[in-house]
Amino acid sequence: MKSFRIVIAALGGVLILVIVAPLAKVIVSSAPSLLRSTACDPEVLHSIFLTLRAALWATLGCLLLGVPLAYALARWDFPGGSLVQGIVDLPVMIPHTAAGVALLMVYGREFWVGKAFALVGITFTGTVAGISLAMAFVSLPFLVNAARDGFLAVDPRLECVARTLGASPWQTFFKVSLLLSWRSILSGATLMWARGIAEFGAVVMLTYHPMVAPILIWERFENFGLRYATPVSAILILLCLVIFSGLRWLAAQKEDR
Amino acid sequence: MLRLEDICLNLGHFQLRDIRLHVEAGTYLALLGSTGTGKTVLLETIAGMHTPRSGRIYIRGQDATRLAPEKRRLGIVYQDSALFPHLTVFSNIAFGLRLKGCPGGEIKKAVEDMAAFLEIEPLLKRRPNRLSGGERQRVALARALVIKPYVLLLDEPLSALDRALRRRVQNELKRIHEELGVTIIHITHDVAEAFLLSDRLAVMKGGRILQEGAPDEVCNRPASRSVAELTGIENLIEARVENGRLATSMGYADFWPLAAEAGDLPARVYLTLPGWSIELFPAGKPKEYIWRGTLTVRDVRPGNGTGIVELTLGHEGGELLRTHLSRREAQALSASLNRGTSVPVGLLAQGAHWVPHETPR
Repeated sequence: MKSFRIVIAALGGVLILVIVAPLAKVIVSSAPSLLRSTACDPEVLHSIFLTLRAALWATLGCLLLGVPLAYALARWDFPGGSLVQGIVDLPVMIPHTAAGVALLMVYGREFWVGKAFALVGITFTGTVAGISLAMAFVSLPFLVNAARDGFLAVDPRLECVARTLGASPWQTFFKVSLLLSWRSILSGATLMWARGIAEFGAVVMLTYHPMVAPILIWERFENFGLRYATPVSAILILLCLVIFSGLRWLAAQKEDR
Repeated sequence: MLRLEDICLNLGHFQLRDIRLHVEAGTYLALLGSTGTGKTVLLETIAGMHTPRSGRIYIRGQDATRLAPEKRRLGIVYQDSALFPHLTVFSNIAFGLRLKGCPGGEIKKAVEDMAAFLEIEPLLKRRPNRLSGGERQRVALARALVIKPYVLLLDEPLSALDRALRRRVQNELKRIHEELGVTIIHITHDVAEAFLLSDRLAVMKGGRILQEGAPDEVCNRPASRSVAELTGIENLIEARVENGRLATSMGYADFWPLAAEAGDLPARVYLTLPGWSIELFPAGKPKEYIWRGTLTVRDVRPGNGTGIVELTLGHEGGELLRTHLSRREAQALSASLNRGTSVPVGLLAQGAHWVPHETPR
């Protein structure tokens, strides 16, 4: 039993090291003075806040559209349900630069969808909307799947009881289903936001400028080398760690019982 | 109060077929059937969670077939209580009243009254995960009853409870029925529970209601072999009708007790005999029995802790009959009941009934 635990812990530990070592190296490799000056660099600050903001818009948009879809996938047995689930998972499987190309072809200025949006003042190339769209496209499976799992974990009989007690389908959704699955939804939203922040391939196809943090890191690496890309990376990693640890902590909090 | 007319429904593997049921106001109906027979689907169809393919549901004379569940005013209690885990006991019970928009004071009084009735006042501030199985069921009952439902639907509410708790909640259900006069439909696969609580009994199998009536009537006059088996009749004896008598492997049984039904008697039948209709050392008049003879004790089980002695008696023709005695009755018999002992036995006409040999469904 003891040897079993040691082997399992050792194997898991190796994987954790694979993740932690590069991140830690990025953080400790930057001189504190360079970190400070980078953190005060207006271009860096603008880029990081743009990234956070665009990923937040993407997440909020997908919460509005993805949570109902997740509920339908969890509760309804409809023809083509598996196909819909497959479509939801598709963005995870395709290369993100290819996803960017596909988005550019539909939402760019050459296709009628892009033209239609342009008529109401929304363009997706070189704009925050384009960044959010690219982020949403590649990261929505994280939110939809987590929310679906959350709804699946809610006993359908609770919904049945709520209905017999006088709740309409909407009241049942908001007072029972949503309240009981909010942790999964928050967890999925956190993952989606995180994935959105990290997105490079799809975003770069739609919007190089304004520059999100991953593109800024890439640009600095290309133009000035690793030394100048590292502090920006370190700041982004630290910021993400703080935000996501907080959100994870919130989702993991037990209700006061 | 509730009338189901020819309800048919397909739901995954489950089917309801031609369900007809009439439940008068104030009735306690037990719906008896084995697992997977469609009892819960039927209950949820009554509650409005599934729309039947055909047939009508009437609640208090109104056609409720396509009425939304929230407009039917039916209470439902599931086996595992299905309490809202994110709400306190108070909020669970108040859930339906809050949806109705009742004033706060009215809700508080109604919840406290119901909690007092079910003796769960000390639990009102707790969360469901801090309750025992019996407490959870009483909270679920309070939640369903506080909205004053037309019909209370109980889906095996006692199955998950241990024996002592089950007895306590059974008493609670009897009291609820007697004191509140609420109409109850109670799903169970436990025959004893069905007999203890209900004043009407419906037996269900394969998505159909096979028989419905007073519990005694259904048990003593089963309409088919399936009903006899589901209601726990201990003995089914294969028989042929020959010259006005029933020929069995134990010899001829007198036909006269069944004569009233003889007009429809098919050539081959099963004689149904509940355990109580097997009398050891028969002392009554000959006409009280359809068969008398000697059987050999094949097995004796003392029924540890129950005070009931279970007996298996064998005939030389191969037939085995099962009956039970209280320990006191067993001790009072003139012969000791050991394996291999021969005992005189009479089959009481009062308990004898027949069902067709081939049950069509």
